[in-house]
Amino acid sequence: MAETSFLTDDFLGQLISVGEVDILVGVPTHNNAKTIGSIVETIQAGILTFFPRERAAIINADGGSRDGTRQLVISAAIGDAQSRSKPYALRTLRSISTEYASSPSSGTALRTILAAAELLRAKACVVISPESTQITPDWLAALLRPIYAETFDLVLPTYRRHKFDGILLTNLLYPMTRALYGMEIREPSALEFAFSGRLGSQFLAQNAWHDETARAGSEIQFTLAAIAGGYRICQSFLGAKEHVGTHSADLVPVMRQTVGALFSSLEPNFSVWNAKTGSQPIPTTGAKQEFSLEPLRVNRKRLREMFSIGVAELESVFQSILSPSTLAELQRIAALEEASFSYSAELWVKTVYEFAAAYHKSVISRDHIIQALAPLFRGRAFTFLVENRNGSAANVEDDIEALCLEFERLKPYLLKIWNGRE
Amino acid sequence: MWKMIVSELTQAMGDLARGFAHILPRIIVVVIMALVGWVVAYLAKVILRSILRLIKFDRLSENAGASQLLTKAALPSATDLLCRFVFWVAWLGFILLGVRVLGIVGLQEQIAKFFLFLPRLFVALLIMFFGLLLATFLSRAALLAAVNANFPSPRLLSVSVRTIIIIFVLSMAFEEVGVAEQTMLVAFGVAFGAMMLGLAIAFGTGGKELAQQFLEKRFVHGRKDEGKEDELSPL
Amino acid sequence: MPLEQDEPWYKHAIIYQAHVRTFYDSNGDGIGDFPGLDEKLDYLVDLGINTIWLMPFFPSPLRDDGYDIADYYSVHSSYGTLEDFKKFLVSAHERRIRVIIEMVLNHTSDQHPWFQQSRSSQENPRRDWYVWSSTDARYHEARIIFLDTEMSNWAWDPVSKSYYWHRFFSHQPDLNYDNPAVREEIWNVMKFWLEMGVDGLRLDAVPYLMEREGTNCENLPETHAILKELRRKLDEQFPGKMLLAEANQWPADLRPYFADGDEFHMAFHFPLMPRMFMGVKLEDRKPITEILQQTPEIPPTCQWCLFLRNHDELTLEMLTDIERDYMNDSYAQDKAMRLNLGIRRRLAPLLDNDRRRIELMNGMLMSLPGTPSIYYGDEIGMGDNINLGDRNGVRTPMQWSGGWNGGFSAADPEKLYAPLIQDPVYGFPAVNVLSQKRTQHSLLNWMGRLIAVRKTTGAFGSGSIEFLYPGNQRILAYARQLGDEKILVVNNLSNAAQAVELDLRRYKGNILIEMFGKNIFPRVGELPYLLTLGPYQFYWFRLRRI
Repeated sequence: MAETSFLTDDFLGQLISVGEVDILVGVPTHNNAKTIGSIVETIQAGILTFFPRERAAIINADGGSRDGTRQLVISAAIGDAQSRSKPYALRTLRSISTEYASSPSSGTALRTILAAAELLRAKACVVISPESTQITPDWLAALLRPIYAETFDLVLPTYRRHKFDGILLTNLLYPMTRALYGMEIREPSALEFAFSGRLGSQFLAQNAWHDETARAGSEIQFTLAAIAGGYRICQSFLGAKEHVGTHSADLVPVMRQTVGALFSSLEPNFSVWNAKTGSQPIPTTGAKQEFSLEPLRVNRKRLREMFSIGVAELESVFQSILSPSTLAELQRIAALEEASFSYSAELWVKTVYEFAAAYHKSVISRDHIIQALAPLFRGRAFTFLVENRNGSAANVEDDIEALCLEFERLKPYLLKIWNGRE
Repeated sequence: MWKMIVSELTQAMGDLARGFAHILPRIIVVVIMALVGWVVAYLAKVILRSILRLIKFDRLSENAGASQLLTKAALPSATDLLCRFVFWVAWLGFILLGVRVLGIVGLQEQIAKFFLFLPRLFVALLIMFFGLLLATFLSRAALLAAVNANFPSPRLLSVSVRTIIIIFVLSMAFEEVGVAEQTMLVAFGVAFGAMMLGLAIAFGTGGKELAQQFLEKRFVHGRKDEGKEDELSPL
Repeated sequence: MPLEQDEPWYKHAIIYQAHVRTFYDSNGDGIGDFPGLDEKLDYLVDLGINTIWLMPFFPSPLRDDGYDIADYYSVHSSYGTLEDFKKFLVSAHERRIRVIIEMVLNHTSDQHPWFQQSRSSQENPRRDWYVWSSTDARYHEARIIFLDTEMSNWAWDPVSKSYYWHRFFSHQPDLNYDNPAVREEIWNVMKFWLEMGVDGLRLDAVPYLMEREGTNCENLPETHAILKELRRKLDEQFPGKMLLAEANQWPADLRPYFADGDEFHMAFHFPLMPRMFMGVKLEDRKPITEILQQTPEIPPTCQWCLFLRNHDELTLEMLTDIERDYMNDSYAQDKAMRLNLGIRRRLAPLLDNDRRRIELMNGMLMSLPGTPSIYYGDEIGMGDNINLGDRNGVRTPMQWSGGWNGGFSAADPEKLYAPLIQDPVYGFPAVNVLSQKRTQHSLLNWMGRLIAVRKTTGAFGSGSIEFLYPGNQRILAYARQLGDEKILVVNNLSNAAQAVELDLRRYKGNILIEMFGKNIFPRVGELPYLLTLGPYQFYWFRLRRI
C-alpha cells in the first residue's frame, strides 16, 4: 500500500531488530542539537528509574537535521555492545532514528512515531518535544503511568506557566474545546503527551494523512480524535514550562495549526459535539494548572494597534465572515481610547463562533479566514493582559473560567449559525 | 394588346409564385430548425443548470467576487447568467444553421466567421472569470499578510495587487478575442510599467526607513533589544 | 573419549552431580547407597556422562545434608561401607567415568571428635584446631551467609564457655587454618581419598578458610596461600587429579583462585548462572554478555565449571538489588520459594516445565565456555517440593519408573529418607527414566543427543569465544573456535519467532552445517546472514570451508 511506503527500508530493519516493546518514546526533531542531548539523557534516566523492567525504545523522527541531532539521540542507547560509561540498566534500551523528510513537518513526524508504535506493538507511547529543556525524569512517570496501568488512553500535560503565556490557549483553544466537547482539557494541543497503543493505531488508520491541513495541527487532531472516539483521557501535572520568546509574527502559523485544525475538525465531529452541554473536569494527577506571576514587560500597545488596523483594513473580509451586529460592535470598540478599550468575553465568543461557522461554510478561502482572525485575537489578548496585569493566580483562573462559561453559554448560538444563512 | 398584358402578368405572377415556392420550403426549414434549436437549447440549459448547482458554481463565483460584480450590475446570478448564455448561443446557432439553407450569398461567410468567433469569446470569458478569482484571492491574501505583519497601508498593497492582476487579465482577454490587440498590448505595457515605476519611487523614497528596519530584522541577528520587552508565546 | 588427549580431562568432562542418598537404594532401607549407585552407572554411560561429582557421603549428623562432617575417613553407614565405595570407584573407572568427591575444608560438624576434643578444655591439644574467642566482636565485617537462620558468625559454646567462629550453620564450627596441624591433617584427608583413586576434589566454601581482623574474611591472600600449598602437593604426588573451587564470588574475585595455574584447576562460574535465567525472562541477552565480558581470562590449563542448578538454592548473591528483585518477582513469586538470597527450585519448575526453554538453557550450558555440570534429575525434568524445608526440596529421590517408590527403593514409602514428588505434573508416574527411555523424543533422549553432539568437537570445552552483537537483542550469538574448528551458536532468548541478521563477514566463504541434523545451510557471503528462529530455538553450526 502506498501509504506505508514512507518508512524507509533501513528504518524498518531497525524496527525489526528492536522487536516488541512495552514503552515507546517518540522524539520529533529538526536541528535541535543544542537541546536534545540533555533531553535524551533525561528520558533515559526516566525510563531507568521508573520503568527499569519494561522493554523500552526511543524513536527519533527527524526532519532533515544537519547539525548532528540524530547522532545525539542514537547515542542514548544502552546495550551490551556499548561502552562501560553508560548508566546501569537491567535490559537493553534501544534508541533509533530515521529521517522522514528533508524538511520538517510535525504531522509526518507524528505519523512516523505512530507507525513505529504500531509495528512494535507498544503498550504505552509518549511524545516528547525536543525543546522542553525543563523536562525532568518525573515527566515520563507522570505521562506514562496512567497509560501503562491501563487506566487511560491519552494523558495530556498541565504546566506551571506564566499567567500571560499561551493566551491563544487560554482564550480560545481551551475554552472552545471545553465548550464544544464537554471536557476541561487545559492543553488540547500539547507538544508532549502520552497515549495507548490502541489509540495510536486508530489515529494512524483514520487520519487523512494526505491532506495538508491534517498534517499540520496533528497534535490537536489527536486530542479531538480521542474525544470523538470515546477514549479515556486524563491530565498530569508536569512542572514548569519554559517561557519561550517567539516572534509575534509566528502567531499566524500557530493559529493555522491549532485554530485551523480545531475549526476543520468541527464538521466531521459534528455528531460528537452538537449535543453536548456544559463541561466536566477530567481526571487530573497533580495540579490542574499553575500560574507563575513574575513580572513580564509586554508591548500591549502594539497589540491594540494591530487590532484597530485590522478591523479597519479588513472590513471587506469581515463582511463575508461576521454578522453585521458583531462587525459593528468591533468597529465601535476599535475606535475607543486605549484606556476604555475592552474586548468583552461575550463579543469575543461571538467572534470566534462566527468565524467557526464561516470556516465551516467556506465563505472565503479557509486559510484567509484564519488569517483574518489574527488581528482580532490580538485585541482580545490586549484586554486579557490589561484585566489581569495585577491579578493573582486565582484571579487569572477565575477570568479564564468565566470565559469558558461564556463559550458554553453561547454554544446554542454557534449551532444556530452553523448551517443557516445570515 | 390586352392579351399581351395578361400573359405578361400571368408570367410575372408565375415567376413570383415560383419564387415563393422556391423559398417557402426553405423558410419552413428555418422555422423548423428554430423550433428544434429552441428545444435543444432549453435542454442544454436545464442540464447545465443542474451541473452547475452540483458543483456549487455560485459559491465559486462568490469567492471570485464575480457575484458581487454581477449584483452591482443588476445582472442575475452567475449560474443563471451562464445558463442563459448557453441557451442563447445554442438557439442562435441552430437558427443560423437554418439560415444557411436560405442560400443568401455572403451570409454564409459571416455565419462561419461568427461560429469561429464563439470559442474565442468563450475562452476570453473564462480567462476573465478565473482572472477575477485569482485577483480577489491574491489581493485578499496580500491584505491579510500585510495586516498581520503590521505593514503600513495594507489596503494600498491589496488594491495594487488586485489592479495589476485585473489589468493583466483584461489584456489577455482582449487579446484572445482579437479586439485592438496591439493597442491593448502597448497600453498594458505602458500602464504596468508606469505603475511599477511609481511604486518603486514611492517605496524607495518614502519607505527607506521601513526597508531598512525590515532588512535589519530579517538578516541581522543577535541585536535583540534587551530589556525592551518580553515576547509572549501564543501557545 | 574426545580427541584431544593432551588437553586436561576436565576440559572435556560432562559432569553429573548426584547425591548417593538420593540416587538408588539397593538394600531397601529407604536411603540410596553406593551399591545402588554402582548399579545405575550404566544409565550414566548411556546419557553420555564421563564424570560424576558426589555430594558428601561422610559420617555426619546430617544437619546440613552431609556438609557437616563428623569423620573424614569413612562412609556414612546409611550409604554403605568404605569397601562399597571402593567397589563403586572401580566400576566407574571401568566405564571410563571419573569421580569427583566433596572435600569440606572450611568446617566440620560439631559432632566431629576434633571439635569435641577442642571444646573440652582450653588445654586440649586440639584446642587451636578451631577459632575460639572470648567475645563475639571480632571479625565483625564478615557477612552472614545463612541469613535466614543465623544471627551471627559467632556461637556460644556452653561447654568451653567461649565463642567459636562459624561462617555457616552454628553446628558447623570453622577449622582454624592458622594452625599448621590443621593444614597437615586436611592434606592427609585429601591424600587418603586421592590414593584410593578419586579423580577430583570439590573444595567447598574455600573463600572463608582464613579470618583476619579488619577484613570481610573472604578471599584473603592467606587463604590463597594455603590453597596453593595444597595444589603444589597435589601436583607432586597426584598429577592428573583435579581441584574444583566452590567460591560464590564476582568474576574478578574468582580469578585469583586460578592464580597462575597453580591453584585451582576449575571453579564454578556463579555469576553467570542467574543471568542465564534472567536473560531468558527478560528476553534480552544483555545480562549474559555483560557478565561474560567482565569475566577475566584464565590460565590455559584452567577451566570454568558451568551449571544451571545444583543442590543449593539458585543463588542471587552476585546480582544487583534491581536484578535480584526482578529474579524474585519472576521466578519466586511465592515467598516460600526464597531462601538465603536465593530460590530453592529445580530447573523444570523454574522454567514452567517449558520443554523449549529447558532445551535452550541446556543448549547454552553445553555451548558456553566451560565444563557443564548437570544436576541429577534435571535430565528428565524432575520437580521440587519446597515444603521439605531448607534446600531439601531439590534433593528428593531419583525417579526411575512409575512404579513402587518411583523405582528408587523397595522400602515402604514412609521409610524413604524424603518423600517422592507426587503431583500429576512432576510426580514420578509422569516424570521418570523408564518412560522417557521408551519415548523417542523425551527430554532424556534429547539430553543424550545434546551431549553426544557436544562431544563431537573440542571447541566447546577448550575453544575461544567471540560474541556477535546483532541488532536484535533477543538473540545471543557467539562463535567458538579451537584451531581450525569453528562453531557458530545462535540462541533465541524470546518466546516469539525472531529474525536476525548476523555480521559473518570474517567467515565469508564458509558453509554452515547444522550440527544436529547435519544439513547444510547457505554459505556466508558479503551480505548480513539472515536467520530465523522459532521460540526459544537455538542453532549450532559447524563452519566448513570446502
